[in-house]
Amino acid sequence: MNPTEANNLIARRSFFQHVGAGMHGAALTWLLGRDLYAAGKTPLGAAPRKPALEPRAKSVIHLFMNGGPSQMDLFDPKPMLDKHHGQEHFDEIAGEVEFPESAGALMRSPFKFAQHGGCGMWVSEALPHLARQVDKIALIRSMHTTNLTHEPALYKIQSGSEFIGHPSLGAWVSFGLGSENQNLPAYVVLEDPLGLPVNGIDNWQSGFLPAVHQGTRFRATGSPVLNLKPDYDQPDSVSQFERDLITRLDRVHAKRRAHRPQLDARISTYALAARMQMEASDALDLSQETIATQRMYGIDKKETESYGRRCLIARRLVERGVRLVQLFINSQIWDNHSAIATSLKGACQRTDQPIAALLQDLQQRGLLDETLVVWGGEMGRLPIAQLPADKDERKAGRDHNKNAMVSWLAGGGIKGGTTLGQTDELGFAAVEDRVSIPDWHATLLHLLGLHHEELFLERNGLNERLTGVVEPRIIREILA
Amino acid sequence: MAMQSPTQLMARMISRSVFHSVSMAALSAALLLGAAGNSNLLAADGETSAKAVVYESAAKAIIESNCARCHNAKTREAGLDLSTPQSILQGSDSGRIVQAGQPEESLLFEMLESEEMPPDEEDRLSKDQLESIRQWLAAGAKFRHAVKSGPELTQHDIIPLLHLRCVACHGGRRRESGLDLRTKQAMLKGGKSGPAVVPGKPLESLVIRRVESGEMPPRRKLVSVSVKPMQTNELEKLSRWIELGLPEVTAEANASQPNTLVTEQDRNFWAFQPPKRPPVPQVNAQNRVRNPIDAFVLRKLESNGLSLSPDAAKATLLRRVYFDLTGLPPTPEEIAAYLNDPDPLAYEKLVDRLLESRRYGERWARHWLDVAGYADSEGAQNEDRLRPHMYRYRDYVIRAFNADKPYSRFLLEQLAGDELTDYERTNAEHANATDQQRYDNLVATGFLRTAPDRTFANITNFVPDRLAVIADEMDILGTAVMGLTLKCARCHSHKFDPIPQRDYYRLTAIFKDAYDEHDWLKSQGPRTLPNVMPNERHAFESHEKQITAQLETIKISLRQKTAAAKKEQIEKVLASLEDDVRERVKAALKTPKTARTEQQNKLLAEHAQTLMLDAEELKKLNPKFRGECEQLEQQIKNCASQHMPEPRIRALWSRGEPSPSYVLKRGNYLTPGRPVAPGVPAVLTDGKTPFVVRRPGKNAKSTGRRLAFARWLTQPEHPLTARVMVNRIWQHHFGDGIVSTTGNFGKAGARPTHPELLDWLATEFVRSAWSVKAMHRLILTSSTYRQSSQVPDQAMRLDAEGSLLSHMRLKRMDAEVLRDTLLYVAGRLDETPYGPADAVDVRADGLVTSKPTPKGWRRSIYVLQRRTQIPTLLENYDYPQMGPNCIQRGESLVAPQALHLMNNKMVYQLAEQFANRIRAEAGDARPAQVESIYLRAMGRRPTSEESAAAVAALQQLTARWLEKNVGANNETLAAQQALTTYCHAVMNLAEFLYLD
Repeated sequence: MNPTEANNLIARRSFFQHVGAGMHGAALTWLLGRDLYAAGKTPLGAAPRKPALEPRAKSVIHLFMNGGPSQMDLFDPKPMLDKHHGQEHFDEIAGEVEFPESAGALMRSPFKFAQHGGCGMWVSEALPHLARQVDKIALIRSMHTTNLTHEPALYKIQSGSEFIGHPSLGAWVSFGLGSENQNLPAYVVLEDPLGLPVNGIDNWQSGFLPAVHQGTRFRATGSPVLNLKPDYDQPDSVSQFERDLITRLDRVHAKRRAHRPQLDARISTYALAARMQMEASDALDLSQETIATQRMYGIDKKETESYGRRCLIARRLVERGVRLVQLFINSQIWDNHSAIATSLKGACQRTDQPIAALLQDLQQRGLLDETLVVWGGEMGRLPIAQLPADKDERKAGRDHNKNAMVSWLAGGGIKGGTTLGQTDELGFAAVEDRVSIPDWHATLLHLLGLHHEELFLERNGLNERLTGVVEPRIIREILA
Repeated sequence: MAMQSPTQLMARMISRSVFHSVSMAALSAALLLGAAGNSNLLAADGETSAKAVVYESAAKAIIESNCARCHNAKTREAGLDLSTPQSILQGSDSGRIVQAGQPEESLLFEMLESEEMPPDEEDRLSKDQLESIRQWLAAGAKFRHAVKSGPELTQHDIIPLLHLRCVACHGGRRRESGLDLRTKQAMLKGGKSGPAVVPGKPLESLVIRRVESGEMPPRRKLVSVSVKPMQTNELEKLSRWIELGLPEVTAEANASQPNTLVTEQDRNFWAFQPPKRPPVPQVNAQNRVRNPIDAFVLRKLESNGLSLSPDAAKATLLRRVYFDLTGLPPTPEEIAAYLNDPDPLAYEKLVDRLLESRRYGERWARHWLDVAGYADSEGAQNEDRLRPHMYRYRDYVIRAFNADKPYSRFLLEQLAGDELTDYERTNAEHANATDQQRYDNLVATGFLRTAPDRTFANITNFVPDRLAVIADEMDILGTAVMGLTLKCARCHSHKFDPIPQRDYYRLTAIFKDAYDEHDWLKSQGPRTLPNVMPNERHAFESHEKQITAQLETIKISLRQKTAAAKKEQIEKVLASLEDDVRERVKAALKTPKTARTEQQNKLLAEHAQTLMLDAEELKKLNPKFRGECEQLEQQIKNCASQHMPEPRIRALWSRGEPSPSYVLKRGNYLTPGRPVAPGVPAVLTDGKTPFVVRRPGKNAKSTGRRLAFARWLTQPEHPLTARVMVNRIWQHHFGDGIVSTTGNFGKAGARPTHPELLDWLATEFVRSAWSVKAMHRLILTSSTYRQSSQVPDQAMRLDAEGSLLSHMRLKRMDAEVLRDTLLYVAGRLDETPYGPADAVDVRADGLVTSKPTPKGWRRSIYVLQRRTQIPTLLENYDYPQMGPNCIQRGESLVAPQALHLMNNKMVYQLAEQFANRIRAEAGDARPAQVESIYLRAMGRRPTSEESAAAVAALQQLTARWLEKNVGANNETLAAQQALTTYCHAVMNLAEFLYLD
């Protein structure tokens, strides 16, 4: 190291000592490069960091299924529901029913179940494509959450707390691991062009963590990031001159103010902004993919085009080092309050083929070992029917349920073909090998090489964690 | 049939339900096991005592060696004394710790098993020891000798559970079937169907029968009243209490709690001691001392071999103080006036003038709104419903800062405004309060209504949802006003600070007459009062009256026109009829409906299609009428749209006697512990003076609890109130507080860098009658504040962070300041104050911008702060997510900031308008333009080199624009475009964004 470098490092270090205590320097650490462990302080930015434990996966694709997919119609067959179909059950679960006025009797699943793959996992006929990939996935049938309303349940699964203002899983992962690609954010959200999910942008908030860890929204078409390109007419030659002018004047400004590293860092944000424009556009350019690949994801078909596109982009982003990609679907296609036979099927048809293709594609490219693919929503559904005002059973759906929900994981560190946990005979509540949301979070972190207890931010005298204060359990049964 | 014991009753209940969920069944089974050994928990049977597992043989030695160091009669950590059988049975702050026969239900076992206790690893129990404790509990938790203790269950075990499950309909507000289940007396009295309880006979007690049969609480109504059914263990408890004959204890909630939980040693921590005014030190650089602040700061600097930096240049200081106090830059005229003012007190005059500007309140209210967690929407739900009346609180805060309302009064109003003056005007004692005072006092309580709140919907309005709102409000109160992280004590006694869990619940009891989880006002509508200023109410009413009258006039006119058209139509039809038919029809029409003959009815029915037309059909036949009609209908629509929403205040007010308060073990509403009375954190008191609550007036509805609390909080010698506020003022002037953790003065917070200065400022604050403006004057006129921001090389080694104050920090504009300044320099800032917030636009790609007014855009503080739709520019520059409030904003440096200022259309348009303005005031000469730009954007003149470089850059830009332009006038156009680009570049400069 030459003396100039050493001086720079000292200047930077002292700056980080200052900012390490608060949170403001966060982004700087991201910008200023890789030697960021300033005097033992936790690095707060997005520079890549080696996790404390041996990671089993480098990145995560979270296929978020808004609305609460029905466990007993997808992954958790319940013969007792067939047997007792039509029997009254409301009084036994009254406190857990959001809409008592529309509560009907016990209702069997309109879908047939069969065992699939070498492992013999039960999957309903609504998911024919995924059924062929079951040997890659570990299914958890015994998850449960804490609130049966979408908003708090969404906050809970995204951030571990039922309330707004806590960092999301992706933000914690970005906080803990940084980004492998300094021209792209660590945490990317692929939103549905048809609209935002419930809770909107709060699903990917950074809460009290630095804003750099917030999910960055990428749109599948058009300009992928807000303000990525000039929204006014100015010749390129003028813009180039303007950028140079700004840099020139900012350098003079910084030079006149010795020992102010934030000024140098700010100059780099302008350079980064320009690089991001290139890199983000490239990642989203699906014309670089073969027709066969596009077809595998169902981009050639109307119903799978949109979700297929996002699945394929997700693969391209993890290839480029993005840490966590989260895919959303507009509104809540899994919130099947009515006509579950058709509405749930519709949701499956939009997503089944693209998801199966993603698993296959990742495996073909040797990426599945280092990528964790996670599927699930914010809650589950009730074993009783929910009826419309005219009580027409053909239009029956299912109401929310916090006591049982399903999720599956595949890829890095996961023992494929596993089925974990049991619900009671009607599928109302998880009873065996129960998995709470904090357990689930702790397991995801573990797979990334992060320990839930070590990943914290001290705030007002409290070590704030994703998993909260109750000690969670890492779900070892599903680990390879 | 023989009497059934409650145990049999439970068994019957369980067998009844065929599909009882497995978890419920498991729970019940556990209870059955437990209940068997539950009858007598006190002594081992004499004969079998040799073999029996008793405390003395199984547990005593373990407890004494591993636990008694902290839980003895003297120290009583967490209120627990483990030294005698009696005290063990008495339990801790969290209530009973031993449940005979039920190890898993016993807090003692829970804490040991989870390894939460003992806190030191070396004291932890071995597996065998833990098993021994478990066996003792399982065997009935017996002692060798009988222990005389209170009843097994008392009203305090029952009252909270009845509140939870029954009182929503059988209590103070609603008394279905005349039944009130809030007290033993009321239960005995019962309702229409007779007494609710029969002492000693649970199975004859109506309350048990109704609950047991599943009739109560009514299953189909649960959600509408936000109640869940009684759990089996609760029913069991209730039965047992009735079986025991409804035992009650009379001990006062307060008196039963010895004050040993907080010791004198705890109180010795600096922040819990009242501030003492230190003498002002003598320093070497006495010539730099403009006021005592400098002496304290220099003292510390000199002891580190440093001194203050020289004063900043006049123009630099001017820009700094303008932004600090008003959030906007000085104009060229203001710069010239100040630089040319020969008065030696020119700076002091300037500070006074800025403090008198309304812009001061608009800037400083923002700091308070951050800590108060202000938002214009509920949050918590996707819909993110608006709080349309919240803006009054924002305006109140702005006016309070501008009026320099004493901080003590400011707090008093925000915490207990409804109790300060009697807003309902029924109390003669407050007759001389002015309307403005009444209004302000009520609006001020909006401070306690800011937390995200989902309780407006039944399904998210259960007790835990409500408790979450209360917890957020306590968190805001703690971090904003008291500098304490109170929320830690919600679930357990505070880990760092001497705040027992009891004190948390005492504090929530203070607010319970307004925030009662068992008597809840849903957010949205019910949280508002109609008591606005009489002139506003009058204006509203006369406006509405006028609109209604106008509507009536138009409607009358419409009716007349319709009648005329109808008449015309009838005449037209009649004219077309043959004479004899005409006469008969005429006669029929003349006859009143009821008197018509059958023939007449038949006749009219025959002609109904042409005769009996309604307005819509008439319109089709009569284009002239249709025209008139549509015009009038449009008028009605226009007029009706002028209806105004009723003016209301989002407020917090006392609702009378609240439900009793209990410690909630581990913060869980299902496990209430000991009863508590309203009180303040013991560590902030002398431990002797009781907290006294008086009703604020004769016949006052309110309890006076919050008023007593607010008065306690604003006593001159309060250890925290003044310190926390002066520290916050300091933070916003210097970029960091004297205590850098401005919301946490506790043990886990930072220590003050200048403790004596902090105390001197705190006492000075109280001496100057809590005047915030006096604090500004003091701070801003110090040499410490006037220093240059250049980091001296010497300081680089010793004080790079600037925490010793050897130089001024370089500060980045806050989000709002940046937005307001962009608008201001472009001449597009609409400075209309107050009133409902300006709406925002959300573009399909998610870009959020505020909607313009006819004059431009208003200051950011007046833009709608909907939690889910924060304007993108503000969000990019660290506008906080209020979760539930923001004590210190982050200062991030991320690419989206650069992208926004470089690429956003609105910023570019503002640059265009900035350029137009520059051309208008400086003409077309480039050097004059450059000078004007520098003055407006950077608050200074350019140096001659800078000016020359700028002129050259403009030339280059013009040439580049010219390449792209074709057509007439293109040189003029290119020159203008170049100026826009240059202005746009300036808005992107670090010098624009950073304040020296």
